[in-house]
Amino acid sequence: MDIRVLQPSDIPHVQLANITNLPENYFCKYYLYHALSWPQLSYVAVDLSHSSGSPGEPPKIVGYVLAKMEEEPADGVQHGHITSLSVMRTHRRLGLAEKLMRQSQKAMVEAFGAKYVSLHVRVSNKAALHLYRDTLQFKVNKVEGRYYADGENAYSMRKDLTFLEEAESESENEGEEKVEDVGIDGDVPEGGEKKKKKSRAKKYKLGRALGVADLQEVDGRAS
Amino acid sequence: MPQAPLASKDGSLFRQVLKCYETKQYKKGLKAAEQILRKNPKHGETLAMKGLITNSLGRTEEAFAIAKEALRQDMKSHVCWHVYGLLYRSEKNFEESIKAYKMALRFEPESQQILRDLALLQVQMRDYPGYIESRGKILQGRPQLRQNWTGLAVAYHLAGSYAEAENVLKKYEETLKNPPSRGDIEHSEACLYRNVVIAESGDIARALEHLESIAKVSLDKISVMEYRADYLLRLDRREEAEKAYRALLNRNSEKREYYKGLEQSMGIDPEDRKAMRAIYDEFTEKNPRSDAPRRIPLDFLEGGDFKQAADVYLQKLLKKGVPSTFANIKALYADTAKREVILELVKGYLASMGTEEETSTNGETNGDKLKPSEFKLWTLYFLTQHYDHHRTRDTTKASEYLNQALELSSGTLELHMTQARIHKHSGDFQKAMEKMDRARKLDTKDRYINTKCAKYQLRNDRNEDALKTMSLFTRNDAHGGPLGDLLEMQCVWFITEDGESYLRQGNLGLALKRFHAILKIFDDWTEDQFDFHSFSLRKGQIRSYVTMLRWEDTLRSHPFFVRAALGAIRVYIMLHDRPHLAHGSLSNGSREGTNFEGMSPTDRKKALKKAKREQQKAQEKAAELAAKAKEDKAKNSQISNADGEMKKEDTDPLGNALAQTKEPLEVAMKFLIPLLELSPKKTEVQCAGFEVYFRRKKWLLALKCLIAARKTEEENPVVHEQSIRFRRAVDSLVDEDIKEPSREVLTAELESILPKETDLKSYNEEFLNSHRDSPKHVHGALRARHLLSPEDASIADELANTLSLENLTLKEAVEGQALLADLKVENKDYNQKASEKFPDAAAFRTAV
Repeated sequence: MDIRVLQPSDIPHVQLANITNLPENYFCKYYLYHALSWPQLSYVAVDLSHSSGSPGEPPKIVGYVLAKMEEEPADGVQHGHITSLSVMRTHRRLGLAEKLMRQSQKAMVEAFGAKYVSLHVRVSNKAALHLYRDTLQFKVNKVEGRYYADGENAYSMRKDLTFLEEAESESENEGEEKVEDVGIDGDVPEGGEKKKKKSRAKKYKLGRALGVADLQEVDGRAS
Repeated sequence: MPQAPLASKDGSLFRQVLKCYETKQYKKGLKAAEQILRKNPKHGETLAMKGLITNSLGRTEEAFAIAKEALRQDMKSHVCWHVYGLLYRSEKNFEESIKAYKMALRFEPESQQILRDLALLQVQMRDYPGYIESRGKILQGRPQLRQNWTGLAVAYHLAGSYAEAENVLKKYEETLKNPPSRGDIEHSEACLYRNVVIAESGDIARALEHLESIAKVSLDKISVMEYRADYLLRLDRREEAEKAYRALLNRNSEKREYYKGLEQSMGIDPEDRKAMRAIYDEFTEKNPRSDAPRRIPLDFLEGGDFKQAADVYLQKLLKKGVPSTFANIKALYADTAKREVILELVKGYLASMGTEEETSTNGETNGDKLKPSEFKLWTLYFLTQHYDHHRTRDTTKASEYLNQALELSSGTLELHMTQARIHKHSGDFQKAMEKMDRARKLDTKDRYINTKCAKYQLRNDRNEDALKTMSLFTRNDAHGGPLGDLLEMQCVWFITEDGESYLRQGNLGLALKRFHAILKIFDDWTEDQFDFHSFSLRKGQIRSYVTMLRWEDTLRSHPFFVRAALGAIRVYIMLHDRPHLAHGSLSNGSREGTNFEGMSPTDRKKALKKAKREQQKAQEKAAELAAKAKEDKAKNSQISNADGEMKKEDTDPLGNALAQTKEPLEVAMKFLIPLLELSPKKTEVQCAGFEVYFRRKKWLLALKCLIAARKTEEENPVVHEQSIRFRRAVDSLVDEDIKEPSREVLTAELESILPKETDLKSYNEEFLNSHRDSPKHVHGALRARHLLSPEDASIADELANTLSLENLTLKEAVEGQALLADLKVENKDYNQKASEKFPDAAAFRTAV
């Protein structure tokens, strides 16, 4: 399985992988928002062995990580955030999630000076928790009450990335530990019911401050 | 004459109207506007604003009337014209909108806002000359903003003017007095964008030189490394290219493209397998956890080398207990020799394990970590998948291995999932669905298995059950319930499968409803780019923006679109040929369907009336349900209206209005045009185009499709039948049907495909004889024969003969059955024989 940066043309199949695997879903524009704001950070795992190599043939995407930079970090520290990560059940235990995450994290540091990366995971998602905590060395920062639409709590997790600033190459020899690719997890589209107005509609400002002659349509498109 | 300005009090009131509009306080804004109008009923700009706000409140028709009145009062106001343009823009009538903006600019040529609005539409419409002009004016107005320079460069770039594009970028860089600070993303990206422009202009040497000059300030390290490697290779600077590709592989050893680059830069002959392998061995050693350097050699190695490498690879994965081992290697199955070697190896593992107790001696590599039965379990699972694979299918054997695996581990979800698949492949959709539901119950928190279960329910035409399954994971408080959420979340797979299922059942209304939903999703995806025309210039990530635009240009070549569009066209053709099918219960698709065409005229009338009544009832029921759902939602008031948008009620939830269209073929064009434009090399697209144009009596366009189809696939059986049908139709055309000079073109062009004096019958039999072993070709030829000799009684027998063909798939057998139904030929013998060959297939069982 190839690991490479996500392209806009991957989005329909990334969207398919997401809605197949996870309860937190997003429409195409939200993926575009990631791909066009931080194009270096999102990665896909692609099965190229079936490809005929003809141009325009869509990729067979078996896993993805959708990542971003926190636009207005509350703590004032530049950091990345994993919006969604999943691997098709048919392609688990190949270590894909870990490989996707490593590439994304490195780019967060290089391109955007991220000091750490954060994510949310359902407290009941044991497999994902195992991946983040044991394989990827994330630490639980706090519990966010009723983060998910169905009322479930989330662990807010973090991983320090400052070690990547210096180290040119990270050690690849981390032993032959069996990687559980399972579970994985996606952000609540609008950060839960409470924050409904946020990302599902649009997190970024579409119209600037509009002056007198500025009659630009503010709504953007109906989402 | 421009209108006199408002008195100062009203002037400030007018500013309040603007503010209210911007902050979406529409009701308040409307009030203020009306207050001004009481004193100044003819004030154009206030009227215009009133129109704009009215439109935002969803009253479009009224809004247009007000905006027109505004223009009548104040023809020379840029505000009135601008608003007029915005109204058209919200209606997606971009041409009219552009015209209105241009009028507005005549009265206010410097307005940045109007220029921007115009520019956005021009790039959305891909009017590059217009875009260049607008971008140029925007830059003149505000040259201090970098994004305005970049914007003009993008306009030139998109239009293919590389030199101008680069020049604009360069000019801005030259105005910089101090080098931008490190970490300036906009600068880093603008430099890389300039580099891409240089490379696309074809001057690779200069692109490389420029790349090296910006490498230090570039924050996107991977792009720099990738561009460098690519340029070096293209410049044939092999040694440096090799180094560059090695550097890339050290960062990411899971990318085929890098290995390919390395092979090329090292000048390795792809036939020299030893040298090729050495590269991969090197990276395997360097990256023990990488998959690519182990897996890729299996593609090119052969014979003993392949066997040895495959052995190492398979054992490693199976012993690690990787359930996806088969998924990882099945692409090799196109090669008969390789799949035999793989089978032999994996069977060998199983044989050497013997009984379960002995397996511990086999599990030495991973010591204690390996549960003795894991290796065996996944080996058995692998063999199950092997025998379920379409190239090596043997359902009995697959089930045997599966049962052994289940004995080892009855709770493993993958096994149950595969059991369901085996049933699906044998055509027993009911059982497949049941088994998948069992698998689902083993892990109700996993959406993947939930998704599979819903898919299997759809394959078994249990649409309501499928939606219910999906609803376990959808946001059910969304507008329109679970289906509403799936539509909103653009769940293409479900909507398409649901539509195809309704098509199978003869419910053409709902089938169309779903296919139109896909059409709408693609329209939304086109519309989605709109905001990024301004957003991306602000963000400064220009390269990915341009990549996105290019993707959008060919969006509808995506297989998701092609599949739904072909489905819709099929439905419209059915509706054209047999309009009564618009009434679901009269369709032959439904299992207990009435034979409408066999009825007497009076019975037909009665049946039609009854069907219409039923439809009416169903519609009323659906409306009632919708109303109730709305009521429930209203009770839950904190949810409703949270997104502040007004959602229109669906007035045709069952698609009845869609199915009862008077012009099915004209509507079909909505689907057909993008197909022909963006996927002209797909034979089935050209075939669909032929069917539509043929029925619309657009002879030349039908011929064009035929020619294109024959070019990609000359011996295609559908194209064969279409050619014969076309020849016959053209031969019987009279003068009124087609005028000169079209007639002459038609005659001449058709002559080159199928000459007039051809004896069609023997032409067809020849085709049949040279393709006797291919069920699909036999189908095509028999269809043509029925056309040429409707009385021919041997068709059923000959069709039944295809059932003895070794390579016949279940799908083809079902297609044969459908052919008999189309030709209204007795199918009892066929079904009998087919059910012997496919004993589990529901298609033949129920029909017997």
